Amino acid sequence: MSAILSIRKLVVNFETPRGLLSAVRDVSLEIEQGSSVGIVGESGSGKTVMSRAAMGLLSGSTVRREGTVMFDDKELTAMRADEVRDQFGTGMAMIFQDPMTALNPVRRIGSQLSEGPRVRLGMDKKAARARSIELLSLVRIPDPEAMLNKFPFQLSGGMRQRVMIAIALACKPKLLFADEPTTALDVTVQAQILQLLSDLRREMNMSMVLVTHDLGVVANHTDFVAVMYAGEIVEQAPTTELFSNMKMPYTEALLKSIPKIDSASGARMAVIEGRLPDPTDRPSGCGFAARCSYVQDKCRTEHPPLVDAGNGHLYRCWYPLGHTIGRK
Amino acid sequence: MRNLFAQMNLLSKLSAVWMALMTALAVFGWLIPLPDPREYDPEASAAGLFSPGHLLGTDAGGYDLLSNVVNGARTSLLIAFISVGFGGLVGSAVGIIAAYRRGRLDYLVSTGFNILLSIPNLVLGLALVAVLATSSDPSVPIASNRRVIIIIIALTVVIIPILGRIARGATLTWINREFVVAARSMGMRDKDIIVRHIVPNVLPAIYSVLFLAVGVVIVAEGALSLLGVGVVDGVSWGAMIARVAGEFTYAPQSMYVPVVVVALTVIACNQLGDFLRGRLDLREGRI
Repeated sequence: MSAILSIRKLVVNFETPRGLLSAVRDVSLEIEQGSSVGIVGESGSGKTVMSRAAMGLLSGSTVRREGTVMFDDKELTAMRADEVRDQFGTGMAMIFQDPMTALNPVRRIGSQLSEGPRVRLGMDKKAARARSIELLSLVRIPDPEAMLNKFPFQLSGGMRQRVMIAIALACKPKLLFADEPTTALDVTVQAQILQLLSDLRREMNMSMVLVTHDLGVVANHTDFVAVMYAGEIVEQAPTTELFSNMKMPYTEALLKSIPKIDSASGARMAVIEGRLPDPTDRPSGCGFAARCSYVQDKCRTEHPPLVDAGNGHLYRCWYPLGHTIGRK
Repeated sequence: MRNLFAQMNLLSKLSAVWMALMTALAVFGWLIPLPDPREYDPEASAAGLFSPGHLLGTDAGGYDLLSNVVNGARTSLLIAFISVGFGGLVGSAVGIIAAYRRGRLDYLVSTGFNILLSIPNLVLGLALVAVLATSSDPSVPIASNRRVIIIIIALTVVIIPILGRIARGATLTWINREFVVAARSMGMRDKDIIVRHIVPNVLPAIYSVLFLAVGVVIVAEGALSLLGVGVVDGVSWGAMIARVAGEFTYAPQSMYVPVVVVALTVIACNQLGDFLRGRLDLREGRI
């Protein structure tokens, strides 16, 4: 299998009045054709910036991006802005976190949905309408024709996210970035949307990058996982390998902080104490040292490199977990 | 349209009716059999309201006031609508593009807007008219038609920064919305994003300010006339006020009539602008 997206030494910095803010530091990641890759980390760990930078969606005069991104054997980072744009929609597409803000409030669903097919695929009005109806049925929306004439505010959150997915899939992308697609939705709808994404991915033979902070989601819907912390990948492995042979204390802490239905009533929920290091002033040692329960002196002074544990399993820790943790 | 009218309160309804009436007078007023606005009636100088043959009376020179109001509506509203329409179009386009592009263009444009806005409307209009309305031969007065065009240009320049700043500000609030990023992630061109995603959201803010701007321009036209650089020798509301300014005590109705018409029109514009803003803001609240 070849990689559809390959990110090499990606660095993203933002210029701020307080100095350079390093959001993504030296991230390398391969996304295999047809696979589903999860990117996990807490808020502020750089997941969203990393995925947007990989697509080339970050704009603004304060953004500094380095490294190379290859998509479909073409080097995105060497392309002009309009050449990158030609990759969007048909090559790569993105689903956004909040379906409340990702739809234009003053335009009907039909016109927003037919935009992609009309502009990117050059369809006429009639063909684009037919395609819109087809897309709405694809994302299991009942009575798609009536939906075309509605405004976003007339829809529930779950319905809006389905519409967002339909828009992203409109031009049959080869790679779909789903940036926390279910964070703004309630739990029952989350499960439906994730199942829908997994089904569609298989039906359309699409690759997917699933950005989330929920390891449970990753366990069920991905083939490969990269855990991000403070702008770096701290552990990456095939999903089954990760859950059976966890090396990184941060990954373990993330897993422990998922509330469990069978924990004793009144028991305190496990949390990761402290917070992410200041992105304008990164510590010299391991970024997680201040919060790690296994921390040693070396962790505070020396930055751990990525270590290869075999089977595609990489981790960034001086004292990896030796024991095996069962899945869930 | 009828729906919109039904939602208005009484004051807004009256305003809408008044503006419709004025617009109708401007377009079809010449069909009404009235005395020529520029021909004086030697037998009825300074006639009071409701005099025979002169419904609103005449001024000290014997000019029929109703005829001047009706025919003046054409010039005054033409100036107002064209300069606001054109100034609004140019201002909004520049404001939206500057906000979308950011960087140096935005810096230059907003600095330009701020400089223009720092000069009072009337002073700016006066300066522009003074510069533009110089004829090469001082003994030949500038034709009335050319004066109208010059005033339209001057007032357009006054309107551009007003609308431009509103459009720029409104664009900045929408530009970072996810649906703009989403449109980019679908491979939409900047032009399409602006036309399809930014403009429909910015328009409500612009509509209401457009009405306010019409009021500003009507007042400015009157003030320029009063200062002697308006359509002094032509037929407009401002010209009516300017012509009688000296003989106000002799025939007071000749001042009251145009002033009341101008005032009612400006109030109607402001009222409609407020109504539209309240009406269109709802959408944002309902997201």
